[in-house]
Amino acid sequence: MKAKPHILNFFRCTFTGKAGVSLFLLLAVVALSAFTYYQDTVPTGAFQLVYPANFGNRVNTPADNVTTKQGVYLGRLLFYETRLSANNTLSCSSCHQQQKAFTDGRALSPGVDKVLSTRNSMSLVNLLWARKFFWDGRAASLEEQAAMPLSNPHEMGQSLNVSAQKLNGIKSYTQLFRLVYGDTLVTGDRIVKAIAQFERTLISANSPYDRYLKGTYRPIPQELKGMALFNQAPQPEKGIRGANCAHCHGGAKNYMELFHNNGLDSIPKDAGIETITGLVQDRGRFKVPTLRNIALTGPYMHDGRFKTLDEVVDHYSNHIRQSASLSSFLQGESNEPGGRSLKLLPAEKKELIAFLNMLTDSTFINNPQFADPRLSALNK
Amino acid sequence: MKKITLVIVAVFLSLASLSGKAQTPKQATIKITGEVTTPLTITEADLQTYKQTTVIRKDRDGKDHTYAGVMLSDLLLKAGTTLGPDLKGENLTKYLLVSASDGYEVVFALAELDKAYTDRAIILANQVDGKPLLPADGPFRIIVQDEKRPARCIKQVVSLKIAFAK
Repeated sequence: MKAKPHILNFFRCTFTGKAGVSLFLLLAVVALSAFTYYQDTVPTGAFQLVYPANFGNRVNTPADNVTTKQGVYLGRLLFYETRLSANNTLSCSSCHQQQKAFTDGRALSPGVDKVLSTRNSMSLVNLLWARKFFWDGRAASLEEQAAMPLSNPHEMGQSLNVSAQKLNGIKSYTQLFRLVYGDTLVTGDRIVKAIAQFERTLISANSPYDRYLKGTYRPIPQELKGMALFNQAPQPEKGIRGANCAHCHGGAKNYMELFHNNGLDSIPKDAGIETITGLVQDRGRFKVPTLRNIALTGPYMHDGRFKTLDEVVDHYSNHIRQSASLSSFLQGESNEPGGRSLKLLPAEKKELIAFLNMLTDSTFINNPQFADPRLSALNK
Repeated sequence: MKKITLVIVAVFLSLASLSGKAQTPKQATIKITGEVTTPLTITEADLQTYKQTTVIRKDRDGKDHTYAGVMLSDLLLKAGTTLGPDLKGENLTKYLLVSASDGYEVVFALAELDKAYTDRAIILANQVDGKPLLPADGPFRIIVQDEKRPARCIKQVVSLKIAFAK
């Protein structure tokens, strides 16, 4: 039986090294609050990922990083750990804040050097099913993904090796690493694995739309009309009006892992996936993001150019920019014969947005298991 | 003065030729991988070395179009897929996963692609109505003869992977 690190030790070891007596006393109070908040020991064993059957089981968990309770516990601490940044000011949670469905409300985000990121911070939700990460899909796992913002000089700006060295000196962490990985060694690989484990638990399945699919929520007429537009392709010759959002955002998860040029620009400033492949077909092609919690994750698009959902809907309705790389399903998709964009009516736009608001999962953004464990301890 | 002008012209020309070279667009390819004996990377030029065939079917516009390309089974046989006499026993639990550059994926059972099982042609097309496919559709698209919905006529194909159902 391995010794389990006591949570009180975590706070004591973490904070007292450089602190004066008064700080020690303050932190002792915090630690005691934490003690009452947490269980006496770190939970261990297999982590049961619970989700509805209609989400399907095509999940993406690497064989060498099975989700465990202790791994998720460690990953959550690391997700909120500012020591993982070059100047100890940023953590993953700086750009991925729970109350904003794990986005930061900014078009672009400043890194440790105050330089802005090149693309919009993506929301973190239902990542268990994702197989390609970033706006250009360049990472094939959450483990691979996590390493990049940690070490990017304009994001958290610290190599994984330095992060590992910093944590290796903190007993509360080395004890947790032993619990998760069998010995006390902190490595970059183990850091990103634990973060990935925590991120896989960020499951959202309790929006009004989820409850509608379960038969426990009755949408108001405006939401129902919006849902019909969302799911229906426009066929003006048959008098059928639609917005066909479900073509790329359909299904129970509102996420289909697609990459498209959605007509933002004829000549894009950011070439998207073309930057990686060199193929003109990939020009201006970006990930189609999840629509779950979309009302909370503005500003929108890879560059955060649209502040509101009204602007987003206006784009698809009226401002699709033509180019050879424009995805084919957007070419000539319109409610008007010969139209080049959807041409929705003002009332239809409102209906669509009413439906999009059905995708907000307030249980998810308030779930204490996803919150900063240190703050949770303070608030208790 | 004349000399300087000549030098400037020469420098300009060489720069122009350099930038011209850099702008040569990269060609899309298809990778054939998985349960095959010889993984292949196919270019449009490679496609010309296979027997050409055509399929006529309706597209989303509701009109008939003539698609030209090669039988998918010919490409898979070249890579060493268990088609033909080898498509029996546990090999009947194999499938083809087709992936497009937009992330869209569809599956065909190997038996759907084999002439010994069906006359329905499933081709990898690179032309429609005598012209190359448009960039947003091509350069490679699967065309499934007679299938009612066009959802498996997957556009912008980049990968063909053979796997066992587990």
